[in-house]
Amino acid sequence: MLVSTNVLAVRPTARTLLAENGSVAALVVLVVALSLLSGDFLTVTNLLNVGVQAAVTAILAFGSTFVIITSGIDLSVGAVAALSAIVLAWTAADSGLPWPLATLVALAVGIGCGLVNAALIAYGKLPPFIATLAMLGVARGLALVVSQGSPIEMPEAVSHLGDTVGGYLPVPVLVMALMGVIAAVVLNRTYAGRAMYAIGGNEEAARLSGIAVSRQKLVTYALSGAFAAVAGIVLASRLASAQPQAASGYELDAIAAVVIGGASLSGGKGRAFGTLVGALILAVLRNGLNLLSVSAFWQQVVIGVVIALAVLLDTLRRRSGR
Amino acid sequence: MSQAREILRVEGLGKRFPGVVALDGVDFDLRAGEVHVLLGENGAGKSTLIKMLSGAYQPDSGRILVDGEPVDIRNASDAQRLGIATIYQEFNLVPQLTVGENLALGRPPRRFGFVDTRRMHEQARGMLDLVGVGVDPRTRVADLGIAQMQMVEIAKALALNARVLIMDEPTAVLTTTEVRRLFDLVGQLRERGVAVVFITHHLEEIAQIGDRVTVLRDGRSVAQVPAGTPEEELIRLMVGRPIDQQYPREASAAGEPLLQVRDLSRAGAFSGVSFEVRAGEVVGLAGLVGAGRTEVARAVFGADTPDSGEVLVRGRRLPGGDVRAAMEAGLGLVPEDRKGQGLVLGADIAENLGLVTLRGASHGGFVDRAGQRQAAARVAAQLGVRMSHLGQEVRTLSGGNQQKIVIGKWLLADANVLILDEPTRGIDVGAKVEIYQLINSLTASGHAVLMISSDLPEILGMSDRILVMARGRLVGELEAADANQDSVMALAVTEVEDARVH
Amino acid sequence: MRIHALVAAGAALTLGLTACGSSGTSSAGSTGAASGGDVKIGMSISTLNNPYFVQLRAGAEAEAKKLGVTLTVTDAQNDASQQVNQVQNFTSQSMKAIIINPVDSDAAAPAVKIAERSNVPVIAVDRGVNGGKVAQTVASDNVAGGKLAAERLAKEIGEKGEVVVLQGVPGTSASRDRGQGFAEGIKAFPGIKVVAQQPADFDRAKGLDVMTNLLQSHSGVTGVFAENDEMALGAIKALGAKAGKDVKVVGFDGTPDGLKAIEAGTLAASIAQQPALLGQQSVQNAVKAVKSEQLEATANVPVKVATKDNLSEFTGA
Repeated sequence: MLVSTNVLAVRPTARTLLAENGSVAALVVLVVALSLLSGDFLTVTNLLNVGVQAAVTAILAFGSTFVIITSGIDLSVGAVAALSAIVLAWTAADSGLPWPLATLVALAVGIGCGLVNAALIAYGKLPPFIATLAMLGVARGLALVVSQGSPIEMPEAVSHLGDTVGGYLPVPVLVMALMGVIAAVVLNRTYAGRAMYAIGGNEEAARLSGIAVSRQKLVTYALSGAFAAVAGIVLASRLASAQPQAASGYELDAIAAVVIGGASLSGGKGRAFGTLVGALILAVLRNGLNLLSVSAFWQQVVIGVVIALAVLLDTLRRRSGR
Repeated sequence: MSQAREILRVEGLGKRFPGVVALDGVDFDLRAGEVHVLLGENGAGKSTLIKMLSGAYQPDSGRILVDGEPVDIRNASDAQRLGIATIYQEFNLVPQLTVGENLALGRPPRRFGFVDTRRMHEQARGMLDLVGVGVDPRTRVADLGIAQMQMVEIAKALALNARVLIMDEPTAVLTTTEVRRLFDLVGQLRERGVAVVFITHHLEEIAQIGDRVTVLRDGRSVAQVPAGTPEEELIRLMVGRPIDQQYPREASAAGEPLLQVRDLSRAGAFSGVSFEVRAGEVVGLAGLVGAGRTEVARAVFGADTPDSGEVLVRGRRLPGGDVRAAMEAGLGLVPEDRKGQGLVLGADIAENLGLVTLRGASHGGFVDRAGQRQAAARVAAQLGVRMSHLGQEVRTLSGGNQQKIVIGKWLLADANVLILDEPTRGIDVGAKVEIYQLINSLTASGHAVLMISSDLPEILGMSDRILVMARGRLVGELEAADANQDSVMALAVTEVEDARVH
Repeated sequence: MRIHALVAAGAALTLGLTACGSSGTSSAGSTGAASGGDVKIGMSISTLNNPYFVQLRAGAEAEAKKLGVTLTVTDAQNDASQQVNQVQNFTSQSMKAIIINPVDSDAAAPAVKIAERSNVPVIAVDRGVNGGKVAQTVASDNVAGGKLAAERLAKEIGEKGEVVVLQGVPGTSASRDRGQGFAEGIKAFPGIKVVAQQPADFDRAKGLDVMTNLLQSHSGVTGVFAENDEMALGAIKALGAKAGKDVKVVGFDGTPDGLKAIEAGTLAASIAQQPALLGQQSVQNAVKAVKSEQLEATANVPVKVATKDNLSEFTGA
């Protein structure tokens, strides 16, 4: 037990980024391996493609990071993403709402779904798993009801979100970066973010320290809903079409990205940067499997194995660091 | 006492964690049929040592010998094979299962491939008889009292033919009667040749139960002395300096009433509780475990909603069940369950210290984290928290330092009235005195303290006034000058004699 | 108390909305005048979460109206056990015939057996039923469709060059049959090489991502076969300006969005199943089964290559 002279040091400075975050190491290993296996992998264009393909998962996962840090779970993000996009396209196409308003309505829908989730969890005392599972059904169903089961064309102005800036830099990557920065700032700098860590770490201690736990859960799930709406809009913009069945199963990718990124499902841990790395690992993997022409059946096996390995690597690193 | 056979020897044991040297050369030996007390402040290395003996940690240097042979204890089953059993403060029992199932865990008797429940319970009965505890093996562990759980743990260890029994602060959670029964049992085990490693913070227990004492300080073994060594000497060895006074209360003049509680009631917990705490005063709240003291504290703080009655801070009435309002009025609660309710164990020191002030340090939703960190550094230094840096996880701190963090977050918030629920439970002598001095400086600056404690000498030594609760009611009030252990106990057992049948 | 009241109100509201919206079950009117008289037919569709099946329902409802029979349509939401329940309910509602569009060919057998016990004839539509006796299977021929796609794509790219295949959800019969047909058909053109086959799960966004990736490793591709139109539309997004010019894309299903792309010239062709025709045939033959007329074991509804030249045939339907 030594008393350090510099009590203001946040963490030992000698630690490298790699040692601190096992998922970064996993990403590096994956990138090196794919560069060796396929000559087409390590090109600027392909890496930008990976960025675009990671964008939707990453944005959903940023939202899920908030929830998972409070030791909750949000299974509804994929369905809420689809519903928000459908609402945007529908209000713009059928009701002739100007696209900026339609976009706001779509965001409001996402936030609304999150608030309902949080109300069921914080006041109705439902387990998050059940509350958001119910919302998954409701949001997916409403997307089908509103769209009558068919895709709706996105307003052209919004579809530019799927384009590139200067024919080069893809907008989805920019949106992902922006949402990532927002997530990082919320988590690190805001009252809501710090409260999420406290609630996830020990809800009772947080309550007895004067944190309004129920109110902060509303904020957390509303943020998750808002991020889901943005993800849905980006996804629909890339296709120029809002589809009721879009983003099915993406909630699991989002959760996987968050956990690969070093968060704990038991709460109190997680970072926006880690989540980004998690989403990139999934996207790099899928991209690489395509480039290497791995058979359809084996792809699922490989993805499962890599998810397990990435989390395992992180756990091992942390344990040896103790 | 004759020189019995040596079972276990530890030589020059060392262990480092990132940023911390936990053990730095510990020597220790254990003979058959002796009770060897391990003494040391929290953080001195006792826990690390026993975790290495039980296979939870591996030493970085030094060696462990069993029966004169060097051994490598890599996990719990290695320890079990060598006959070493450890009884931690947190029991290793599955609360949802019955006592019998717990005792047979992992190797239940089988018949035709199914668990033979009848035989399992018969075997369990035999094991329980060994430790002399009359519990029905079919009882669920969750329904047992703490003392009974402890006995079940000991029975489990004996069933595994343990020759070395390590007990980590077994008496911390027991009542006086229960402690006496535990000591009887330990005495019998000693007769049978079992070697016992006994950790306690209660110095008076050492002479009663121990044979030899090894004192640890700052990760080193500094002395080995007979159990009859005077307490002052033991304290000096433990903290490295003499402590003049165990209870250094410096009374200050009582000022205006800061906290007034009027006729507070909550069904099933307490009723008609009225008292007041004045500025500069330490009011002790004594009583037996289960008398309703913690429940009163929680209701005053708004953690639970009372059914009737009122709480006033500086004459202003608080809404019931509203922690935020209580905080803003200047109340602070250091809860009894430090780890479960006081701390976010996985978060770092700065984060925990800033928990209460988080809201005040936010402007437009953004937290002034640099300011929070500086404030945390200031309080940590003021409290003398022993740590490697502010970013250290609170989980890795010793109990005393953890308690300083819980108190520190209320110091940062400048709470006027601090409710301390068992503030020194499981904390070593040195840290205790530091906390007492902190209480002194708080009251000297006009704060008020309401202190719940089951440690009678502490209540008597630190309080200006003593309130005594029994069965959910306030049964008496004593001036500290007039009170002694007998007068407090006499009140505490008022109309509760019938409830104490174990 | 308050929460209970809220919950009750919410439940009531939900039920009310569902009753008004009535999206789960719908009935096409019986005018009673036509030959069918008071014939009630139940139809369980695997999912309405797909424009293809929505069209199938529309064809069935139109035919029911024409024949003057009452048609009740339910949505099994891709849940095989729910489908069994729906068929069971049909028998207890004394439907005269049941049309089933199986969620899963194997798992539909128990449903068919339930109907068999009540002597209600069953018509399977779009997918067959394994291990149950149905009066007839009305389906389009996916293997033949795959072959047609191969021929059409070969013609579009001049019978030579590199092509890639976007596969559907691995292991589904549609993906299997279409892929098999395409593989058989493309063998006839030795100048064409299939350089990659990758799954995109019948999903438009995944079609976009997978095609983007494949373009990195196979930049010389001139032809794409997607096992459904959704993936084809995703691939077209990935190809950008090249779609329809340097790279020809052939899809499958002939969905409205697919037909629009054909009109725009980005999609070369789509092997159009004719879902409305499937629906129509199934109702027609169900009525025949009610009248105990003899039915062929299978009714093959033709698939057609939809191209810019014959587009009006499909958009009109």
